[in-house]
Amino acid sequence: MTPEIIDYASRALAIPLLLVIASLICLLLPLFVRQLRGTQGLIAIGSLTSLLFFLRWPPAAEVGFFNRALLISPLSAYLWAFALAALALVVLLSVARPAAPPESQGEYYFLLFMAAIGLMTLVAAGDLFTAFIALELLSLPVYALAGIRRSKPGLEAAYKYFMLGAFGSGMTVMGIAILNALYPALTFAVLRSGPASPLALAGFLLVISGFAFKTALVPFHMWVPDAYEGAPTQVAAFMGAAVKAGGVIVLWRLFSLFDGGPVHQIFWWLTVITAVFANLAALAQSGLKRLLAYSSIAHAGYMAVAFFGGAQGAQALLYYLPVYAMATIGAFAVAVVLEKGEKGPLIEDLAGLAKDRPWLAGAMAAFMFSLAGVPPLAGFFAKFYAFAGAVNSGYTGLVVVAVLMSAVSMYYYLKVTVTMYMKPAAGERSYEAPGVAEAVIALMAAGVLLAGLFSRPLLSLAAQAARWF
Amino acid sequence: MELLTNPLSLLVMLPAAAGALLLLVPPEKEHLLKRGALGATLLVLLVTLKLYADFDPALAAMQFTLQRAWLPAYGISYFLGIDGISLLMIALTAVLMPISVLASFNYIKEGRRAYYACLLFLEAGMIGVFAALDLFVFYLFWEAMLIPMYFLIGIWGGPRRIYAALKFFIYTMAGSVLMLAAILWVAAAQHAASGAWTFSIPALYSGTLTGQAQFWLFAAFGLAFAVKVPLFPFHTWLPDAHVEAPTAGSVLLAGVLLKMGVYGYLRLAVPLFPQAAAVFAPWLAGLGVVGIIYGSLVAWTQRDMKKMVAYSSVAHLGAVMLGIMAFEPAAVAGAVLQMVNHGLSTGALFLLVGVLYERRHTRLIEDYGGLAKVMPGFAAVFMLVTLSSIGLPGLNGFVGEALILFGAFRVYPWLTGLAVTGVILSAVYMLGMYQQTVFGPLRHTENKVLPDLSAREWLYLAPLLAFIVLLGVWPNPVLKRAMPAVGSYISLAQRQAAPPPADVKISLGGKLP
Repeated sequence: MTPEIIDYASRALAIPLLLVIASLICLLLPLFVRQLRGTQGLIAIGSLTSLLFFLRWPPAAEVGFFNRALLISPLSAYLWAFALAALALVVLLSVARPAAPPESQGEYYFLLFMAAIGLMTLVAAGDLFTAFIALELLSLPVYALAGIRRSKPGLEAAYKYFMLGAFGSGMTVMGIAILNALYPALTFAVLRSGPASPLALAGFLLVISGFAFKTALVPFHMWVPDAYEGAPTQVAAFMGAAVKAGGVIVLWRLFSLFDGGPVHQIFWWLTVITAVFANLAALAQSGLKRLLAYSSIAHAGYMAVAFFGGAQGAQALLYYLPVYAMATIGAFAVAVVLEKGEKGPLIEDLAGLAKDRPWLAGAMAAFMFSLAGVPPLAGFFAKFYAFAGAVNSGYTGLVVVAVLMSAVSMYYYLKVTVTMYMKPAAGERSYEAPGVAEAVIALMAAGVLLAGLFSRPLLSLAAQAARWF
Repeated sequence: MELLTNPLSLLVMLPAAAGALLLLVPPEKEHLLKRGALGATLLVLLVTLKLYADFDPALAAMQFTLQRAWLPAYGISYFLGIDGISLLMIALTAVLMPISVLASFNYIKEGRRAYYACLLFLEAGMIGVFAALDLFVFYLFWEAMLIPMYFLIGIWGGPRRIYAALKFFIYTMAGSVLMLAAILWVAAAQHAASGAWTFSIPALYSGTLTGQAQFWLFAAFGLAFAVKVPLFPFHTWLPDAHVEAPTAGSVLLAGVLLKMGVYGYLRLAVPLFPQAAAVFAPWLAGLGVVGIIYGSLVAWTQRDMKKMVAYSSVAHLGAVMLGIMAFEPAAVAGAVLQMVNHGLSTGALFLLVGVLYERRHTRLIEDYGGLAKVMPGFAAVFMLVTLSSIGLPGLNGFVGEALILFGAFRVYPWLTGLAVTGVILSAVYMLGMYQQTVFGPLRHTENKVLPDLSAREWLYLAPLLAFIVLLGVWPNPVLKRAMPAVGSYISLAQRQAAPPPADVKISLGGKLP
């Protein structure tokens, strides 16, 4: 290890540590100070800002920590930057419009930060067992966050999410137990070289189904629409962008342990079923958050298409994640601004938005067209790269299904723009659009507009990171 | 800097930048918006005139090429260049745009800022499609153009605009997504054969695809273009979109957007997959002829003028398809000429219907009659345009139609024989409409006070009338520029001997190579 790498790694590991400290301050401060009035949000923003001092360009090397349980490499740096950016955006949205009741502000940021640490550990995990612990660290806070308002829809969402999530975790543990009997080390490197046996296959399939719950691949998606709808919208944005990313990365690691065979066939079917079912189910939705929930399931399917693209697909996947996250966080931010009730706005509540708030409607239209994959928005480029790899590896049939279903998806994304631009407003609309939320929306809109036409920088970062996969 | 000094790149950037600038103008500054939009389109026209003058009509090769690496990892470059066919299409776009802007001045009363910005973005997209020589860039413009058109129909359209806008978008999108998969396949096959990624269209012309691969790829490309042309039976979006779109939208839809489908066959589907094209050509020509007859018969029964013009477009584009699928110089040149002609005369017809609609807010034929008495100027212009659309000798429509029929007769005698009935039918329905609206007694009192064409209306109709007459008596400048490109299209289409097939891995199931 050169001094340069030690310097980098110490800074990198300081980031989660700092997040732990900040989250504990947020949690414990109410014990000592009575009148906080949302100071926790400022602490959260402050600690995230201070993280900027720890950001360094990663050296081109992979360093293992804790007996290689945690692997620090340009890949982890890329994904950590992604996780922190998602966290920062969600924190900004929560400061703009609190997601939790005043007495739970401390817990809210604590849980959010813990989930982010879980995500960071998950994407850097070097073995399956660490990945499982990280997954739990990511999931448990999010279960609680979903119900933090303690209202009926929130609790229902949290309960459903928890029950199904616990079921998924149980499957993962079972699978890991089986694999552990065969491969005592459980590192991804060992799993790759292992001989194929029916028992190992069963173990892998159990683990894969467990992570498919988090990624929300059909048929492991049942919790998603209710959880997104009932959870506070800010939390739903975090689930859609960050939690999903964690699941996708681990699934991708598991996928690439194999060179074809039954596991790839199962992934093939999961991808097809996800793309078809999610897009068809989304057609019938009337709530904006439910629509975005089904859209996030569909996008998990498109990302799974990128798995099949080999090295090209890896790069495409890493490009896909931030592009998808920008549009999703942006769309949820619009929902945050417009929501009145617990369950967020209905699509028809957006009627006439283009006349009242032309820029807000324009940004929302950009998010929708980007999610739909219409050029020149970034979502098109992301899909193009993802599908290009799969076609190049010979999976044309899969890509044909995916493009046909993205044509179907046009209908529900267009439904949102139709309502905003072509239908008159039904009545008075209440806006709570603090400048911070609007800034987040503007930033995301600029992202989806520019990250596509000028995709070279992000793509080359993704390519560098993908090399360490 | 080359991005702005190259005339083609400038023609794409200029309207896009002008559209973005218009969005910054405060919406209450109505005159600034109108003048800005008109000025930008006139500037584009000026650049196009320069382009036309500098174009060397004798060359078959691509001219004004610009190639800059864009996404090198995928071999995608910002590659522009034109031959005679693209030049004519760009010129048609540039001529129709200021006319559309002028025609919108009084018609559009709400959301002007977004409206003119949409028109300018649309222009950038249309010119981009005709100038692109990189498959990825082509697809990008092809799809991106849908967004402004969707808003034009959906926001400023008629009563059923939402339905029409959705139908337009989803039909076109559903047709084109398979083309995206096909584009990826073509590039992957080229990658497998040559070891390098490229999306450059001229480079892909030399591709080595098996007959079976060509069949599926042609089907995917052909579907996307058939929806756009629109070829029978993929035409059902067209009447809805036309009827609901604002006048300028209809003019551009008929004048330019439909040509993109034909252009796609000329530039991509046929030259990239010549073997498959030879198999599909008689069928496509046959569908073209079905379109001629079906379109004419349906147009005959329409009571709404806009719908009638829309169905007449189906018929005209059917004739164009017959021409390009004959792979015969006269027929293809006639088809190219007819693309220009259709843009001019159908554009003018939509403008005239728009003139009536702005006055009376109805497009039903029976609500008019005897207009010659109150609107003599209108009646005269309408006559000329109607005759041009029918294909009267001496006006533009005749030359193109005659060339298509002469050329195609050598290849498809029976189909062409059937197509001739279209000429008769077009006279039946067009003259029928003309007679019922312009001649006869003034049946409706509201029509007695209709004002004749205003100066602004003359201003935007006059250039079209001039071109209609000019191309009727002197089509040579157009044909001269189109001929080299037509020649290379035919020679590309006739490459039959297949080089050794590329080794492409294809699995439709989970099977792995």
